[in-house]
Amino acid sequence: MPLFIAPFIPPILPWDSIHPQIIHFPIVLLLTAPLFVALGIVVRKRGTCFAIAALCLMGLGAAGTFVAVESGEAAAQLATRTPEITEAIGRHQEMAETTRLVFTLLTVLYAAILFGPALLKRPLSPRASIIVQIVFFVVYAGCLILVADTGHLGGLLVHKFGVRAMMP
Amino acid sequence: MRDCKGSRRVFLSWAGVCSLGGFRLFAAEPGSKPASPETKGAPGAAPEAKGAAAAAPQLKVGSTLENLQTAFNGESNAHAKYLEYAKAADKEGYAKVASLFRAAAQAEQVHADNHDDVIKRLKGRSQAEIKLPPIKSTAENLDDAIKGETYEAETMYPAFIEKAKAENLPEAVRTFNYAQTAETGHAKLYKEAKEKLAELKGPEGQAYYVCPTCGWTVKKEDFTFKKCPVCFTAAKMYEQVK
Repeated sequence: MPLFIAPFIPPILPWDSIHPQIIHFPIVLLLTAPLFVALGIVVRKRGTCFAIAALCLMGLGAAGTFVAVESGEAAAQLATRTPEITEAIGRHQEMAETTRLVFTLLTVLYAAILFGPALLKRPLSPRASIIVQIVFFVVYAGCLILVADTGHLGGLLVHKFGVRAMMP
Repeated sequence: MRDCKGSRRVFLSWAGVCSLGGFRLFAAEPGSKPASPETKGAPGAAPEAKGAAAAAPQLKVGSTLENLQTAFNGESNAHAKYLEYAKAADKEGYAKVASLFRAAAQAEQVHADNHDDVIKRLKGRSQAEIKLPPIKSTAENLDDAIKGETYEAETMYPAFIEKAKAENLPEAVRTFNYAQTAETGHAKLYKEAKEKLAELKGPEGQAYYVCPTCGWTVKKEDFTFKKCPVCFTAAKMYEQVK
């Protein structure tokens, strides 16, 4: 690695402290994915490339939620507690687990929509394929409220209750 | 070629932003005060925690290892004391209060074990000197328990946590945090029991659930969660105490 880059690379934090450093990655990935789903529907030529890109973003985002939930639990064990903070952490954690479950299922569903017909050797008509993808897009966009709410609850913990991850 | 330069620029700006972010996070760390021994006022409280909570007025904050040893001694004494209080409550016919004392005793044992683990990792030695206080009436025992738990939750553990953060010992912060949160819950349960003492008279005990990881203690009717709200241990791992 060129030496001049070294000062710009952030330190890799211990697991207990890594939550604030990684949490924004799944949020951005899950929020960006529907744009590519939409492009996959709208762009006639090579629309499949956008759809596969959307699936990759969803997959990485869903994987990121697993890391986020686990690292969040580790960070919460070191957070200074009051009854209000414990309650707020509980709500954030529950919402994060729901988000993880929903987006994991949505990712599997989208993969099934893309590859299922070919695997089952029962291809959908172009019209049916577009309708299925539009329905998926609407459902996915609706579920994004879970990401927003989880992020909001995390923001409240930091900015309202002053909860910070312990930094080395 | 142009694309390549563009990617490099993007990477460098990303790295710069992350680096700045990292700096800001470190700068915001509240536990970055210089470590120094200090003494905190704790009216009606003792340095050896609950066991003798009412005897001495001040808490001496030493190194984290010393604080862990103090906490271990306090938790071990509390465990023994609450078991005695439970026997006294049973004799007086307050079986529900006896259940609460037994549940709290189990939680104190969890805390003592957690402190002991960290002490061993820090190459220290755990030692408890059990000194049981005089066993009085259940009402008075509840008063003593409330005083001890409140002292630990509001004075002792917050000071120990601050010190452990300053010494950058996350394992110690975790065990103190678990204990502090559970003690807050115990104080609340004892206060409720004191207020409704007359209603709690009777031969039938009451079920409490105790987390085997952090000692969080709840009544049966409040045992509605799937994961411990403090340490996220699965609720099915909780132990019932009656």
